[in-house]
Parts: sequence; C-alpha cells; structure tokens
Amino acid sequence: MKISVDYPRCEGHGLCADQAPDVFSLDDDAELTYRFEGTVVPDESRPAARAAVNACPVAALRVLT
Amino acid sequence: MTAARSVLVVGESLAGTTAVRHLRALGHAGPLTLVGAEEQGAYSRPPLSKVVLKDPSADETLGLALDGLDVDVIRSPAVAADTDRRTVTTADGRRIGYDALIVATGAGARRLAAPGQRGELVLRTLEDARRLRARLADATSAIVVGAGFLGMEVASACAARGIPVTVVDTDRPLERVLGAYLSAEITARAATHGIRFLQASGFATLTGDPVRGVALPDGTELTADLVVTCAGEIPCVDWLEGTGLAGRLGVGIDHACATTVPGVFAAGDVTYLRAQGTQPDRRAPFWSNAVAQGRAAAASALGLPLPGPAHDDYFWTEVTGLSVKVVGRLPLLGEPTAVQGSVADGRALLTWNHADGTSTAVAYGLRKPVAALRALAATSSSD
Repeated sequence: MKISVDYPRCEGHGLCADQAPDVFSLDDDAELTYRFEGTVVPDESRPAARAAVNACPVAALRVLT
Repeated sequence: MTAARSVLVVGESLAGTTAVRHLRALGHAGPLTLVGAEEQGAYSRPPLSKVVLKDPSADETLGLALDGLDVDVIRSPAVAADTDRRTVTTADGRRIGYDALIVATGAGARRLAAPGQRGELVLRTLEDARRLRARLADATSAIVVGAGFLGMEVASACAARGIPVTVVDTDRPLERVLGAYLSAEITARAATHGIRFLQASGFATLTGDPVRGVALPDGTELTADLVVTCAGEIPCVDWLEGTGLAGRLGVGIDHACATTVPGVFAAGDVTYLRAQGTQPDRRAPFWSNAVAQGRAAAASALGLPLPGPAHDDYFWTEVTGLSVKVVGRLPLLGEPTAVQGSVADGRALLTWNHADGTSTAVAYGLRKPVAALRALAATSSSD
C-alpha cells in the first residue's frame, strides 16, 4: 500500500498526523512528511493510514494499492 | 465484546464512514452494514466551497473510500426506523435488523425560498457546487444571504472571479463564530477584495421567481444574477419520525455519542450535544467533530471505552485566500491576549485566555498544523 499526496491541495491541517502519527508528520512549516522508510506503508500502520486518508479535510490524500 | 452483534450505520457521511472504519479497527468481526443516500457514495465536503467552485477536475477526487473494509453497503436512503424491533427500512423496501445502530445522516441546507419559488441556490452537496460553478461562469453580480463561514467562502469564490458580491446578514461576517475582533478584521479585508457587507435588521426574503434578489425588513431591495443562500443546515431526521430520537436540533447525544434510546448512537452533523450542567443543548456541526464522534460512536456501539474525547474543537475557514485555523472555545470575546505577527498584514498567531482558565489559539493567514495550535492553546492555558 502506497499513499499519494496532492501537495498543492494540502493546507497543512495535520489531521492525518493526528490519526496516524506513525505514518505522517508535519514540520514547523506544516509541510507533510512520511514517518516510515521508503514509499510503502508498513503493514501494521495500514489501518491508521487509511483512517488518516479519510480524515483529510481537503481530500489531498489517496490510497494507491 | 460479542463478535456476533450486528452493527448498522445509517448515513454514508464522514461520520458514518469514520464509524465503519473504526468498528473494524476496534475488532468488530460481526455483520456490518452501511446505508447511504448518495449514489456516488461518501465524499469530502469542505473542498466544495473552495477547490470545486474553481476547478471541475476536482469533482472526481473527493471520495471517502471504504477500501479494505468488510462492509455491506446499501445505497438507498433510510425512510423509517423501529427502535423497539431494532430495524431500519430503506426506500427500496429493505428492512435491516441491528443490535447496535449508529445514526450519521448528516444535515441538509436550510432554504429560504417560499413554497414553489424556484431558483434558490445553496451549497451543501457536490451537485449544488457544480450548479453554482456553472452559474458563476457568466454571473456579473451576486448576493450571498448569510455571513457565516460558508457564506464568506462563497463570497470569496465570487470575488476571486471578479464578480461584485454583497453579503447580507443580521450579524457581522463570522461574528457569531469568531467574535467581534476577527470579524472586523475579516470584514475589512473582504471589502478590499470587492465583498460588500450589508447588515440587515431582520430576516431577508428571497424575491422573484426564479429568485433574482432579496428584500430586507427596512424596505431595501437588491437584485443580482446570482443569489446564494448560506443560512445554515437542518439535521436529516425525517426517517426517525416516531422514534423519539430527534428534535429540532437533531439527535441528542451524550459525551459517549449515546442517544436516549438503548442500542442507538449518533455522530456528526445530525447530532447535538445534550445539555449538561450549565451548558445548554449545543450543535457543533464541524468536520473535526464528525471524525471524533464517528470514532466514539463506534467504540460505544461495541461497549468499549472511548478512544479519545468525542468532540474536537478544531475549526477552520478561508476568506479571500486567507486561512483562519482555530483550536479552543468559540466565540472569542474582546481583544486577543497575545498577538505574534501582524493581523493587518494577514500573518499572525493569536491567543485568547478565557475566564475559565482555558485558551483559544488562532493561526491567521499562517500555515500551522493543528498539533502546533493545540500545543499553543494548552501552554497558554492557566491550568
């Protein structure tokens, strides 16, 4: 499972990092970064990652299988 | 938790899909059914008043996916519920039984048109946004009835296209939500972008058929190519008639999202928080609450402790391209306690300390994640 981020649409709300702190974090400028190595979401973080995609208020996150 | 219990979620909304997701995440292995009214399934609404009004290519990018979840989805609206027999009936004639029910049918736009009066525009659904976008393409003037956050976002969309727009309300822009200080700043900023505000002494009436304007109680009449009503929302509770679950404010819930009926829980815009102590009945139909309540309702439906608070006071809006993000109690009375940066320049971090010891933090025109605002609100609090 991979996740795509529509960066121009991202407004740095950070609700994804609330839902999945192991998957996403936001730096001081509210730029979104991944917390895991590489591009594939680790198995144990997938349910939280899906909840994070659901919680993005600007629909900037997508699950790519 | 008993694995065989069946859970029925009614409303393919943010609250409904969040509840479904967390029911499975919390280990519910029994039957799970989601009843939805929208043919295309659940989608995200905040982008409707922003990106969708600008860009048709956004229409297909709003879906709230149910991927990876073992859920039986029925796309036919619920028309009746029997909480004694524990069944819900859908428009296509199905009767679905449940052990636990989560009500998440959301709310619809409040309309002002007289019966039979055509052409009133609102913004609540994707279809509404498409219709409004098409009308924005050739409008040369606009009136927005309602100066809440939706009204100001729609006015901003008009202004971004160079359409002169008048916003009409009894209260000043965003004053009910944000208080007088930020209202004054935002109103002044909006004026420089071609958004005129007209304060009315009472309710506006839509004129013309199809609608072409508004009449105010003092005799003022305005006309425009486009008239958009942004006068709040009405909880979708018709299907609950006879159950005693719903009133004018929606479905009353407690802090665990439980209703007054055993086995029935509720989340999102359909709900209000029942009075507690000195706090009156209170609606808080915001995005963050729908997520927090969807999670809480899922836990409560399974008889589990809450994963976190069933409310979240994060709120945001965008006016003429400037974002306002807020964590903490609203509205904000008087002047801010502390200001970093410049409000006039559209870049500031503000805090308000309240009499009860809590604080509210506001990022005004600053890109600031919710976690940073929560931390600021917490450190500014005196307790």
